Amino acid sequence: MAHRKKNRNVGIIGIGQTKHSSHREDVNQPELIYEAVSLALKDANLTMNDIDCVVHGNMELFEMVHQPDLWQVLGTGAYGKDCIRITTGGTVGATISCASDNLVASGMYDIVMAIGFEKLQEGHTTGGITNMADPLWFRKIQSGALTGSSAYDVEREFGLERANRASLTYRIIMDKHAGLNPNAHRSFGLEFSQIDDLIRTSPKLVGELKLIEMCSQSDGACCVIYACEKKAKELTKTPVWIRDHISAHKEECFPIFGYDRKYPVLKTHKFAAEQLFKRNNIKNPLDYFDVFEMYDPATWWAIDWLRDFFALKGDEHLKLIEDKEIMIGGKMPINPSGGVIGSNPIGATALLRVAEAALQVRGNAGPHQIPTPVNHALASGFGGTMWTVMTMLEKELNW
Amino acid sequence: MAEYWGVKVEDIFNSMQERFRPEGAKDVDSLFGYDIKDEGKWKLTVKDNKMTIEKTDDLTGCIATMKADGETFVGVNTGNVDATNAFMGGRVIVDGDMGAFGKTGKLFRKFVIAQKEMTTKDYLADMFATIVPRFKANEAEEGLDVSFAYDLGGPDGGKWTVFIKDKKCTITTTIEGKPTVTLEFNDARDYVDFILGKIDAQSLMASGKAGAKGDLNMMATKWPILFEKYKDPMAGNVPQQELIVLKKIISLNEKFSTGPVMGKFLKGLKEQKIYANKCPQCGRMQLPPREVCADCRVRVDEFLEVGPKGEVRYMDIIYYAMPDPLTGQVRETPYGGINILFDGCKGNETLPHFIRKDQIEKIQMGWNEKKGTRVRPVWEENRIGDIWDIKYFEIDE
Amino acid sequence: MGKRIAICAVAQIKNDAEYWHLRFQNMLLECFESIMDQTKVTFDMEKGIRTIITCSNDMFDARTISNNGVTDVVGAQFRGEEKMDQESINGLGYAMASILSGHDDVILFMGHCKESQGESRRMISNLSFDPFYTRPLGMDYHNVDAMQARAYMEKSKVTDEHLAKIVVRSRQNAQKNPYARENKLVSEQEVLNSPMYSDPLRELHMYPITDWAYGMLLCCEERVKEFTKKPVWITGYGSCMDRYFLGDKDLTSNFSLKNASKRAYEKAGIKDPKKDIQVFELSDHAAYQLPMWAEGVGIADEGQGGKWIDDGGMDKFNVNLSGGHLNGNPLLLGGAARAMECYYQLSGQAGDRQVKGAKRAVAQAATGGAGQHQAVIVMEA
Repeated sequence: MAHRKKNRNVGIIGIGQTKHSSHREDVNQPELIYEAVSLALKDANLTMNDIDCVVHGNMELFEMVHQPDLWQVLGTGAYGKDCIRITTGGTVGATISCASDNLVASGMYDIVMAIGFEKLQEGHTTGGITNMADPLWFRKIQSGALTGSSAYDVEREFGLERANRASLTYRIIMDKHAGLNPNAHRSFGLEFSQIDDLIRTSPKLVGELKLIEMCSQSDGACCVIYACEKKAKELTKTPVWIRDHISAHKEECFPIFGYDRKYPVLKTHKFAAEQLFKRNNIKNPLDYFDVFEMYDPATWWAIDWLRDFFALKGDEHLKLIEDKEIMIGGKMPINPSGGVIGSNPIGATALLRVAEAALQVRGNAGPHQIPTPVNHALASGFGGTMWTVMTMLEKELNW
Repeated sequence: MAEYWGVKVEDIFNSMQERFRPEGAKDVDSLFGYDIKDEGKWKLTVKDNKMTIEKTDDLTGCIATMKADGETFVGVNTGNVDATNAFMGGRVIVDGDMGAFGKTGKLFRKFVIAQKEMTTKDYLADMFATIVPRFKANEAEEGLDVSFAYDLGGPDGGKWTVFIKDKKCTITTTIEGKPTVTLEFNDARDYVDFILGKIDAQSLMASGKAGAKGDLNMMATKWPILFEKYKDPMAGNVPQQELIVLKKIISLNEKFSTGPVMGKFLKGLKEQKIYANKCPQCGRMQLPPREVCADCRVRVDEFLEVGPKGEVRYMDIIYYAMPDPLTGQVRETPYGGINILFDGCKGNETLPHFIRKDQIEKIQMGWNEKKGTRVRPVWEENRIGDIWDIKYFEIDE
Repeated sequence: MGKRIAICAVAQIKNDAEYWHLRFQNMLLECFESIMDQTKVTFDMEKGIRTIITCSNDMFDARTISNNGVTDVVGAQFRGEEKMDQESINGLGYAMASILSGHDDVILFMGHCKESQGESRRMISNLSFDPFYTRPLGMDYHNVDAMQARAYMEKSKVTDEHLAKIVVRSRQNAQKNPYARENKLVSEQEVLNSPMYSDPLRELHMYPITDWAYGMLLCCEERVKEFTKKPVWITGYGSCMDRYFLGDKDLTSNFSLKNASKRAYEKAGIKDPKKDIQVFELSDHAAYQLPMWAEGVGIADEGQGGKWIDDGGMDKFNVNLSGGHLNGNPLLLGGAARAMECYYQLSGQAGDRQVKGAKRAVAQAATGGAGQHQAVIVMEA
């Protein structure tokens, strides 16, 4: 649990998202947001009159709009409402979900709407990411969010061939999932038989990190509506309850990857997962959760992080992938939505993880719905200098 | 009136207004005549980015007049007759100022037969035929000498090379010389979809349906500047709102203070020294120095000189460089970003920098059981207190 | 009494025209160390700080995700850190929610802004306007404020002389505030002769560019004794967003501020702000905003701003005894500065400017041009 008992329960009662695409020249920023907001309101069977507070988040330098909630009130519908804007980098979508949970749980607001969006085609994404770095030195050296270091780590531990095959297996599973999700940005129709070809032909970006393994740059918006227990029960038969959430940040610039096993680097994913599961008394997360929507910006990170999130040992994480246990229908389906590799409108991406996990719990995700019942779902966000936000969702109020 | 390929001569003239490209008419202020055998004469007036076309017997005042028969005229306009061949073979004659008449090439979008579906072949023909007219010579910088080659597979495929040299653009239907970049598409249909914006390049490349050899960055950054975007001639058949995209570079001038801690590090570089600072509690060395130790949450005041030699702990070989947001320049690839463990540091206390370009192949990454390649900094002669006071690191032999 | 959270300690560096010798990490560290020193709070996962709320801005820092440069100096290593990307006052509202929700017992709230770093604050605020229409027109917070000033001064009979009076008083009050930006005292005549900046606003009517950083420790009611003997309570928060296009709204209506203060007063159980509240700190980025916001929070009658000044309203209601935003705070952080002054007043630490027996205070701040987004907090001793 949190520091104290949650003041009151909070449920997700409405979810909306745009189709994610690199071709949304047909709408401007507020119009893109409006699409997601309208869909969420429709989903919750509410109008803007029912919303008490709007929480907005994205990154200013991607679109070069300062305090964008001001202009985007045209699309958010926040006119006359309480409206706050909280940002944290790639995790921002997850953070505004946590914030909405807090705002409702506090008793200050009954119904809160979180909106994450990004129109990455309108700016220079890699430039935007490079501008994260300290202007006094690292900005001059960094080249965006690309690094081959995770690939190097997995390779060094398990050998190049097994590492590469696991990476591509993960990639193709995500592609198959994205193929089932009508909102996903990219789905190529890849087959497992293409693994060897793709290892050979996909252009290398950095080290072993190949183009096929990296996430896309998308335009898209996501909107999620949260309500207090009383209202949630009145308004929907299928509220999805937020059990707990945790954030863990890490300093910039001091080496975030470790190259020396004598000096292991503690990762925020591992730390956050341990803390979250400990305080919620979850002994075996792999058994407990029915689905995990993970923020997976690249396959190598995804592989490595599975181990951190579920406290797996040895090559258990690779086996999960190799045995396709992370596919829909497997033991621990990861990203039935196709994940971040499938669609990545950065400001919305981490909120989409929560939204997609909630859709799974609700049981109406659409073609990518997991066939078996989903009672417990986990969502993660990633951003900044290796930051983590995790959210636990439940079908029943029985924990 | 006779029809050729289902098109009448007057169809071509009647659609001129609709196909007119004001951006192609910027420096044109002339009358042009068309004398089509057995069909009649037309006069085209272009002035102030506007045009009028009229059927008239009076072609006085025209700076140049094109003469052809109906079949050739329709053939050239619909792509069924090769314009150069027709001209060289005398089936098309231009009386008057040839150079001025050449400008009419940029005035119009290609004529398409209304309601007809364009095949992949039609599109390819149109896309490559319009490359030269779409070229913006004034955007080409002095001395720019590049060539972009296309190798498109599938039943409709083919090869093309676009050359840009001396501010001129030419195109061949072969791949010649050493192209700056060669784009390869397994199926030409994907190329057409890509140009029409139905699918993006990254998707195609990621899925292995397309690839590139050579300096793709050059193409990615230069092409949109040097060429007008291809306009789908079929788009004209369906009334559709033009989507304007506003392009703007936004820059804010900043002066970043360094403060005493980062300032010490940068000043050190000026003096060819590398400073780390050491946490009074856990003893970790911070590089570059930070105001506090994040782990212990205490102020860190003790500075120690480390290096300047060390070993490579990790190297990223960067094959695909993004344009530097500060300069807009793209670094030449591949290059090697290394993490250096300086003498005096341990574990993960490394600093990132670059390795000398020609030594990437020789670098060995180290960890606790294994020493990495020893490197030393190569200092800039005029140092100003900047991370680039170290030009790069090189192998210390 | 409704639910409330405590401010246990505050720390700040002096507002300054330019901390050329410090980067924002240095500025924050001063405040961080002071809070740790005052409260002995820890970062224990069970009992200590698990969440840090920061306030900074990507454009002002010229840095994507401006908070990734602060993680270590605000103690956020392996802790949650969330950036309020609006006026800092909203960080207090959000901290209130985070604590009342039960998720956090203790929250560290820190902010920084170096306005001196950028070439032009107006270029930054210009970027808050849509890229198609209002941005190319050159709108920024200053000239949009000037349009509001023109309309408001007409409506409430506020004159150039009134504005001069506000500026003179602001600088005099700031003399008594050790953390205030050091500005030279000016006479009303000097203000009246000051060059026109954005008609009707003169140069001296605008807040000057300022660098600043601060920290506050906030905690739940149950645990307040662990950190302070003299807490000051936040009892209400409200905010409101107005329309975007200037032509879509009545610039003088105070729509968003009236809603924001109504919401904050309701939560705090305030019936009549004129009687129930003794100290007001209003974010007057420009001089005209002092009487206008005073109308908005309900201490001046609508349309009577000029008369309210003539009747001594500013001193009668103890408005901006700190010198106000007008004397100099970073645009983004004025709300935190206002709240901090309220804290000093309510905890009896306001020195020469102390209001005797102050029980309740209101801090207000706006985000955007012409006060598009407004937020208000109510604080109690």
